[in-house]
Amino acid sequence: MREFRLEADETVAALIELDEANVVRDLANQLTLLLTEPAEGDPALLRLLPDAYPDDAASSTEFRRYTHDSLIDRKVANASTVIETLDAATAAVDAASEEHASASLRLDRDQAIAWLTTLTDIRLTLANRLGIIEDDQRSDDVVLQDLYDWLGFVQNAIVETLES
Amino acid sequence: MAQTIEDTRVSESTAIATPWVTIVHNDPVNLMSYVTFVFRSYFGHPPAEAERLMLQVHLTGRAVVATGPREEMERHVEAMHGYGLWATLTRTDG
Repeated sequence: MREFRLEADETVAALIELDEANVVRDLANQLTLLLTEPAEGDPALLRLLPDAYPDDAASSTEFRRYTHDSLIDRKVANASTVIETLDAATAAVDAASEEHASASLRLDRDQAIAWLTTLTDIRLTLANRLGIIEDDQRSDDVVLQDLYDWLGFVQNAIVETLES
Repeated sequence: MAQTIEDTRVSESTAIATPWVTIVHNDPVNLMSYVTFVFRSYFGHPPAEAERLMLQVHLTGRAVVATGPREEMERHVEAMHGYGLWATLTRTDG
């Protein structure tokens, strides 16, 4: 992704290569699956929905009981927004079938925030898979680590564009 | 003077009635720019205050980002979990 800019109507605009769009779309779909059909006791899900009361298991369970569904719904809706905005951006370009083609991604403020939260949830999940538990820790899995870093670059660029 | 004493009583009774805090904890994933953005857009903090809280989380491992009734702190914690920040709530005293 490149050429992030804030337009006069506060739309965040950027160019995204089709390969990049496919990667983000695939990750957003995987996140949706993790949220809606989680494996029993998946530690990534415990990080996405952490205990609210560190020293009180009963209160944490109670908190989870009445916040779980709405948090899952919101996270799934954010991931859907990411997929929909990618589909809207790439629809016109697919027909051209150029190699290394870029699409023009456009996000209003709510959509940009949906991107930020979904990128966070994806990075939290990847960090769990990579075993990243300390600041500045690097994984030996170069491919996933590069992907994780790139998602962080995109997220930071969106924040800086929103605040520019 | 009387006004001052009265104000003090009000503030003490408020403190006794609301002994809960929302705490955001450091994690190795969330970007400093994003955490600052969340503190600004959700709590409405001015940039300098959002930055101060973010640095406190980053450098000391945690920061109290809100104080108030338990139900209100639970709403803040839920919102922070929505943003992907690691937040908890606890009583301020025993």
